[in-house]
Amino acid sequence: MSARRNRATVAVVGVGMALTLAGCGEGSGGSAGGSGGSGGGDDMPTIAFVPKLQGIPYFEAMNAGGEAACEELGCEWLYQGPVEADAAAQADIVRSFIQQDVDVLFVAPNDPDSMAPLLQEAADAGIAVGTTDTDAPNSVREVFVSQASTEGIGQTLTDQMVEAMGGAGRYAIVSCGETAENLNSWIEVQREYTASEYPEVEITEVVYAGEDQAAATQMATDLMNSDPTLTGLVGECTSSAPGVAQAVRDAGRIGQVATVGLGTPNSIAPYLEDGSASSSVLWDVEALGYLTVWAGMQLAEGNEFEATNDVNSDLSAVEYDEETKTLLLGPPLVLTSENVGEFDY
Amino acid sequence: MSSSILTPAGRPDGEPAAVAPQDGGRQRLLPSPVTGQEMVLIVVIALLWLALSLATPAFFTSGSIVPLLVGMTPIALIGVGMTIVIITGGIDVSVGSIVMVCSVIVAQTMVGSGLPLPLAVLLAVAIGGVLGLVNGVLIAYGRVHAIIITFGTLNLFRFIGLQVFGSSTVEGIPRTLNFFGRGEAGRTLGIPHSFVIMLVIAALAWWYLRHTAGGRHFYAIGGDSQAARLAGISVRTRVLMAYVVTGLLAGLASCFVLAQGTSSLAANVGSGLELAVIAAVVIGGTSIIGGRGSVLGTVLGALLVQTVATGVTQLGWRSQLSDLFVGLFILIAVGADLIRQRTRRAS
Repeated sequence: MSARRNRATVAVVGVGMALTLAGCGEGSGGSAGGSGGSGGGDDMPTIAFVPKLQGIPYFEAMNAGGEAACEELGCEWLYQGPVEADAAAQADIVRSFIQQDVDVLFVAPNDPDSMAPLLQEAADAGIAVGTTDTDAPNSVREVFVSQASTEGIGQTLTDQMVEAMGGAGRYAIVSCGETAENLNSWIEVQREYTASEYPEVEITEVVYAGEDQAAATQMATDLMNSDPTLTGLVGECTSSAPGVAQAVRDAGRIGQVATVGLGTPNSIAPYLEDGSASSSVLWDVEALGYLTVWAGMQLAEGNEFEATNDVNSDLSAVEYDEETKTLLLGPPLVLTSENVGEFDY
Repeated sequence: MSSSILTPAGRPDGEPAAVAPQDGGRQRLLPSPVTGQEMVLIVVIALLWLALSLATPAFFTSGSIVPLLVGMTPIALIGVGMTIVIITGGIDVSVGSIVMVCSVIVAQTMVGSGLPLPLAVLLAVAIGGVLGLVNGVLIAYGRVHAIIITFGTLNLFRFIGLQVFGSSTVEGIPRTLNFFGRGEAGRTLGIPHSFVIMLVIAALAWWYLRHTAGGRHFYAIGGDSQAARLAGISVRTRVLMAYVVTGLLAGLASCFVLAQGTSSLAANVGSGLELAVIAAVVIGGTSIIGGRGSVLGTVLGALLVQTVATGVTQLGWRSQLSDLFVGLFILIAVGADLIRQRTRRAS
């Protein structure tokens, strides 16, 4: 009897421990960025950036761009994100940056709505706040640094797809999160633009694979099988872009089914090489990091943005939309087998 | 009818579900080779395949069936180990994290040193075995329920995996493991290697569980571990074995996962895999409280889930529908298990 009770106690303690561990997994990961604060002797502004999650090549590239920019422009760069794309964990990190009293805070919010009150809190503490990569439109952010316009991405993807298909045919889209706002708005543009600009091209289906590469490959395989007349596949996010190309490669249908997508340079390069992917539409992620820091410096120094801004030699005409307070990085970047080697992320 | 299949005639009343058979009684005590639920699964899968073949001419072609069979192998393979674990009354929710650790270490080593195929497999299986051993030791000697222990190690292993990943994905993975993949290199005479390997392992496990005294011990432990111990079964050793085997198989499965993946590997590999595996086991008719189940059912369960996913996409239905179907299958399978237990208790 008592042995059984002991076991129950152990079990309860065990549950507690397991839950604590789980909490750690989802909680604010890592210990980076502890050295911040504006109490230091020098008067370089401190610019902090909280990505959706840490440890994926996309945000690491933004980090690299931001770091380089701070070195050049003279600021202290802090970078820390959650280990999973989780709104609560991200909020904890934002709070810790507010407590460290940074000068400028940039966030790529996982959940724009729940981030808004926190940005208000930061602004109340005298911190200049902005969003980058993903906006929180109903917040007090002073600027949104946008990687590309929805139209720009959607139309470039469509143009690339149609060109790879030879001007006519049927293609399907393998998307990722079913509720991902940016992906869905790109798909909307693709539908409209395809219908209006390319009457001989038809989108057959849109399927959702989550962030699961293997699922994207399997779904692309199934789509090719169910419709032998399919000649194009779009991988709508960074995990499904190489996923659909892998499906074409495995099925031995390179040259019959063309693929394009939003793949990061390193992940898509092998597929551009053997032709299972025709091109990849993205933006220069390091430049986005650079532009974010530049915008942060303007906020810190109290400068207004011009309608067209000369940031540096590569970003000589960055447009600013006064009404939406949006800085636009520029037209999307098209990666092909020729230029993909120039990028390392 | 069906209850006579599930409760073989000749077993003395009141005897725990599956205590090791005595000499001489073995023939009569063995359950029928194919249980009622497995029969149902075979019929459902056959009907589904028939319906899909009629609905879309593309379904019953090698271009469609081969990826389907390859796609289910990681789940079925880990499912073999998970079946043994669940038969003993345990569970292992850390398998997804084991796959993550194995695949990232193997992928990085292949990128770094051009590891050949046999060594890659060996490395993956060895790491999986060690992680399985950690689970096994903690569960066999810790006397805490397996779900708590493996929930803990799920997080622990994932932490290790994230450390190995550093803060980036693994890029430029060589095609060493193509032998297990979907492509041309993964087939001989049109038959995918990974599927054959999975079938051989599943068949061995099926035979071992069914026809050896050692195999029957797992059932005895799940039926009533106290009684099993009194009957002279080394409960700890068996429990330890179950988790080590699951770890080894998860290690091998991670090679299949890598072979099916692209040339880059992201840190979300393996996440949620444990649920897919448990779903296959439960749909296959293994009782979640232990004491009953079979590897054949698990393989069929994995095949059914994969067939549904493929069918939904090929028919052009909305992707979430496959989640709905898998959910319903699980509920139906668990419901059938409950009814079986009630009828047995009543009889």
